Amino acid sequence: MSINLLHRHVLDDHISGFETDTNPNHLSIIRRPVIFSVLAHESRETAVAEALWNAEDVAPRFCSPSEWLAVSRTVGAGMVADMLSGIAGASFVDQSDGRVLVEISGPSVRAILAKCVAIDLHPEVFEEGHSAAMLCCHAEANVARTGADRFEIIVPRSLAGSVFEELMEMGREHALTRGFVD
Amino acid sequence: MTSYRLGSGGAINRGQSLGFTFDGRSYKGFDGDTLASALLANDQMLMARSFKYHRPRGVVTAGSAEPNALMTIGSGARAEPNARATVVELYNGLAAASQNRWPSLKHDFGAVNDLFSPFFGAGFYYKTFMWPGVLWEKLYEPLIRRAAGLGKVTMLADPDRYEKSWAHCDLLVIGAGPTGLMAALAAGRAGARVILADEGFRFGGSLLSESAAVDGRPAAEFAADIVAELASLPNITLMPRTTVFGWYDDMVFGAVERVQKHVASPSPDLPMERLWRIVAKQAILATGAEERPLVFGGNDKPGVMTAGAARTYLNRYGVAVGGKVAVFTNGGSGYRTAADLLAQGVDVTAIIDARPQSADPVPESVRVIRSGSVIATRGRHRIEGLIVERSGFEEVIGCDAMAMSGGWSPIVHLMCQRGAKPVWSDEKQAFLAPDVGGAFAAAGSAAGELSLGACLKDGSAKAHAALDALGRLVGTLETPEVEGEYDPSFAPLWYVPGARDKAFVDFQNDVHVGDLGLAQREGFRHIEHTKRYTTAGMATDQGKLGNVNTAGIVAGMRGVSPAEIGTTTFRPFYTPVSFGALAGTARAEHAAPVRTSPLHGWARKNGATFVESGLWYRSAWFPREGEKTWRESVDREVLNVRAHAGLCDVSTLGKIEIFGSGAAEFLDRIYSNSFLKLPVGRARYGLMLREDGIVFDDGTVSRLSENRYVMTTTTAFAAEVLAHLEFSAQTFWPELDVRFVSSTDQWAQMSLAGPKARIIMSRVVQDDISDAAFPFLAAREVMLRDGLKARLFRISFSGELAYELAVPAGYGEAVADAIMNAGREDGICAYGVEALNVLRVEKGHVTLSELDGRTTADDVGLGRMMAMQKPDFIGKRLSTRFGLTAADRLQLVGLKPIEADKEIKAGAHLLKEGAKPSTANDQGFVSSACFSPTLGHFIALGMLKSGRERIGERVMVWDGLRGSEVLAQVCPPVFVDPENSKLHL
Amino acid sequence: MASLITCPHCGTRPKEEFSIRGAAAPKRPSPTAKDEAWHVYVYVRDNPKGRYQEYWHHVAGCRRFLVVERDNLTHEVFGVTDAAEFERAGADE
Repeated sequence: MSINLLHRHVLDDHISGFETDTNPNHLSIIRRPVIFSVLAHESRETAVAEALWNAEDVAPRFCSPSEWLAVSRTVGAGMVADMLSGIAGASFVDQSDGRVLVEISGPSVRAILAKCVAIDLHPEVFEEGHSAAMLCCHAEANVARTGADRFEIIVPRSLAGSVFEELMEMGREHALTRGFVD
Repeated sequence: MTSYRLGSGGAINRGQSLGFTFDGRSYKGFDGDTLASALLANDQMLMARSFKYHRPRGVVTAGSAEPNALMTIGSGARAEPNARATVVELYNGLAAASQNRWPSLKHDFGAVNDLFSPFFGAGFYYKTFMWPGVLWEKLYEPLIRRAAGLGKVTMLADPDRYEKSWAHCDLLVIGAGPTGLMAALAAGRAGARVILADEGFRFGGSLLSESAAVDGRPAAEFAADIVAELASLPNITLMPRTTVFGWYDDMVFGAVERVQKHVASPSPDLPMERLWRIVAKQAILATGAEERPLVFGGNDKPGVMTAGAARTYLNRYGVAVGGKVAVFTNGGSGYRTAADLLAQGVDVTAIIDARPQSADPVPESVRVIRSGSVIATRGRHRIEGLIVERSGFEEVIGCDAMAMSGGWSPIVHLMCQRGAKPVWSDEKQAFLAPDVGGAFAAAGSAAGELSLGACLKDGSAKAHAALDALGRLVGTLETPEVEGEYDPSFAPLWYVPGARDKAFVDFQNDVHVGDLGLAQREGFRHIEHTKRYTTAGMATDQGKLGNVNTAGIVAGMRGVSPAEIGTTTFRPFYTPVSFGALAGTARAEHAAPVRTSPLHGWARKNGATFVESGLWYRSAWFPREGEKTWRESVDREVLNVRAHAGLCDVSTLGKIEIFGSGAAEFLDRIYSNSFLKLPVGRARYGLMLREDGIVFDDGTVSRLSENRYVMTTTTAFAAEVLAHLEFSAQTFWPELDVRFVSSTDQWAQMSLAGPKARIIMSRVVQDDISDAAFPFLAAREVMLRDGLKARLFRISFSGELAYELAVPAGYGEAVADAIMNAGREDGICAYGVEALNVLRVEKGHVTLSELDGRTTADDVGLGRMMAMQKPDFIGKRLSTRFGLTAADRLQLVGLKPIEADKEIKAGAHLLKEGAKPSTANDQGFVSSACFSPTLGHFIALGMLKSGRERIGERVMVWDGLRGSEVLAQVCPPVFVDPENSKLHL
Repeated sequence: MASLITCPHCGTRPKEEFSIRGAAAPKRPSPTAKDEAWHVYVYVRDNPKGRYQEYWHHVAGCRRFLVVERDNLTHEVFGVTDAAEFERAGADE
């Protein structure tokens, strides 16, 4: 018996109708990012962090002094796993299906996110390249600043629907649009 | 004509007329008006009836302290009761209605209370409605509630949106009057991140009502210039219409922004109000001061208001509050008011000064009565005159409005919300802000400064101090020049003796001087007791006008300083905050986040009924055409699993990935049973205890490779178990090399159970899963037929041959569909957690219904899972203590009704046959019960005293709550396949 | 409204991100310690008013257990340390 398995994004259920034109304030849902949890074993924290920050095609996201998310939007899970297995003192597990990655950008992005997270997003406080785990719309999320007016938010898949609805609601006064990015 | 709009002047836009209604009558106002100023411009001084005596009332203030002019704004679902007309911003189409009157504001039947007022003193209700007690709830309380009166809340759902937001700044300036503007300007120019918040819709505070000139310009113009500069600075956030209502721990301030309260047709894309949590490194309280009313007989008559209010209506709104105004004062504010009124052509009939002499300049042609006391007022719906007593002589003075000034009280509310009490100053004759540490400072008149010049200067100075603390460069202090300033100092006058009518201290609650005296005589002497006995300082205004006078009057009665009396406790909120703002978006389906399983779509397609389980939505059962009750569906699903096969979503179980060379040892210490020798490729059921020896959670652990495990937990305790692991690793055994991370969301996990499970699974999985190759408790990675990697576990909760298959979440729906397709010819069905529960009760498996935080492993028949030969595991030491090993503990048993058609319900108690229901006779309880379609009757699991010795005994299942008694037989807890033959097919 | 705790790993965060887990001072006795020591460890806690060390689990952040030393009356926070460091420092004493 041959089967053909279709991959579904959890937010497919939350987006209906035609895609509208993109407004300046926009939320992109990345359809198939690669996301790994990376854990450093005792006393290997600095070395693992360094290796992650030097790795190509992978953006590390800080979770704790011994835990990161390794995110890639360009290469496949296999390549990321190969790279990670080369880091001594690190354990890792694929979480690509367990996390949802959205990117929110635009001139009002800070005003929108102020309604979603408690931390100060001023560029001098939360600088470009910075990432941290925090509550976002009541969900445990990882938020990263990837540009002056651009942030990436990673949330657990089971809560992604709730977070997405809330983000869109908070973006309503700023005409936030949304759509998938393949 | 009494009160009227002046021909020119004021910070109103006369080019934009706004129509509104009050009690159904149409009026016109201007853009820039408040509801109160617009009503006064239309000569509508009567605005409300008082709470208790239903006395006619008008405005006393022009701001947020207003106790009288409470109205209901809007209608239907948007009707908002108890809005203060003095701060309601006028908009086109605004509909206001008066409250607490019947049949009309002018002719109010309830005013009869005023006639009977000798009986209605403080404590009247407590003394009168004491007995018979049964009447309280049925008669007295409903009557009193109906008679007591503020506005009525609508019972319709609020149609508007609300939001919450965080804000962060170096300096928060609360209040945009002269002090706040100067503070914000100094900090803004120094480059600090500043938030300037003001409750009003126009920045400027008292500058907007001021007739003096600042830096050579009218004060309002000076304010506008500063606001323009602030608006141009990118590091300044201006927040008008925003009340900072609370000061909380760690310099967090709560504020509410009225985003669209002033808008005729609100936009659906904007919130009505927004709740702010403002995190500030430094904060300046620039909330100004409240002018004290004078406490004299008849001081509540419509038309009697504070002198500052009369000036605000005059200078800011271009409204004369009367044609002939009398002034009663004990300080400079009264003289300035008289001068301002005269300048606009308003007749001032007299200045009655309580002091024997003063240096205040007397406007030409105005009569001053020194050492005078107002002892009564005349008029009904509006003041028509007053009686002045001086040296034993009385005189009637005609007027149609009266401005009173009893001095100034700094508004220190916010600084006293975290426990510090305001401090009495003999010099200032006022309660001043307490010292709460460097980060939050009072400035200007909130700090006891009185004159405009001093406030402007203090605003800059306090901002410089804050900048210094922030480590920002401090420039030179700027002090604008004030011309035409008056001296606002005053002599204390707590109440005016000789009153011929009630002299009100608290207008909103109708508390007069006599009530305060009664409270003292009856022993309610502490100010907090006085407050509760008299209700002075309660309700929506929380005594903003009256509290200081209350303290002063009580001090006078007792012959002590107000310092000894003190104030009542200040608590958030400064002014009322709507429930909508506090709830934000958390309402209806957004009340809590929703967690959905990766198989949610699959379950929905198959017609699932969902049940909430924590934040999760789990599929409970899958009704089919013709099934009328949930039981019909569940019975079918159970029988189908036992006879053929079923697929159930178990994705919500907690999943934790565990890594490290110390993982085996770690698990061995976490679980009560042994884990050191778990082979790779195998799963094991594990029991976790709490340190007190009681069972905490159960689940499975599978060893994927030498140093790699995956743990499952119950759905309910997934988060708790992860926290428990983290705590244990971090604080108990940091030397063990172990790391873990939750992967609950990564996997769609489904249980395929039933005698046909293997044949169906083998159509989807490439690997050999024969009993030999993949025996009971096998656990390893497999390949699906399209090449997808998955995890397969041969574990069973139902007692049937069963597999749990875990696939990456995004493929969950597709794989579940594929399994359903593959099993169609073998009669597969989808089953939910209700059927799963029946299957496990039939099999005698325990869940958190049995592991309820009171049971030991032995209690539930799992004593063999206590590996006492291990040197240490969590819960080991206390598990053997006296009490946990007693012979008469409740033990897990099965229960069957003697009469097969009788129902046993969970929660029922167990009694010896023939015993009376009593605590002493209680033998245990039913923990889980269900109808067993396999056996054709109800079955139950229960916890029974020494239960295992009592197999075969008959017990009474007594359900007093639902009124049933059923005789049952005690039996072993496993009802189906006790030999486990089905597991090993 | 909020209280803020400065996590040594994540920065300043509202209390909603944390789960408070009780007194940090009691140490788990050795498996062979006397019954009394185990009884005290499991059941007996001071209930001080004032300065107090307690575990705060940064659930929505780094997921580390922290030891927050604060005044439980005024909520003045004196220091926040990672619990592993706190235990290590305690062991060194």
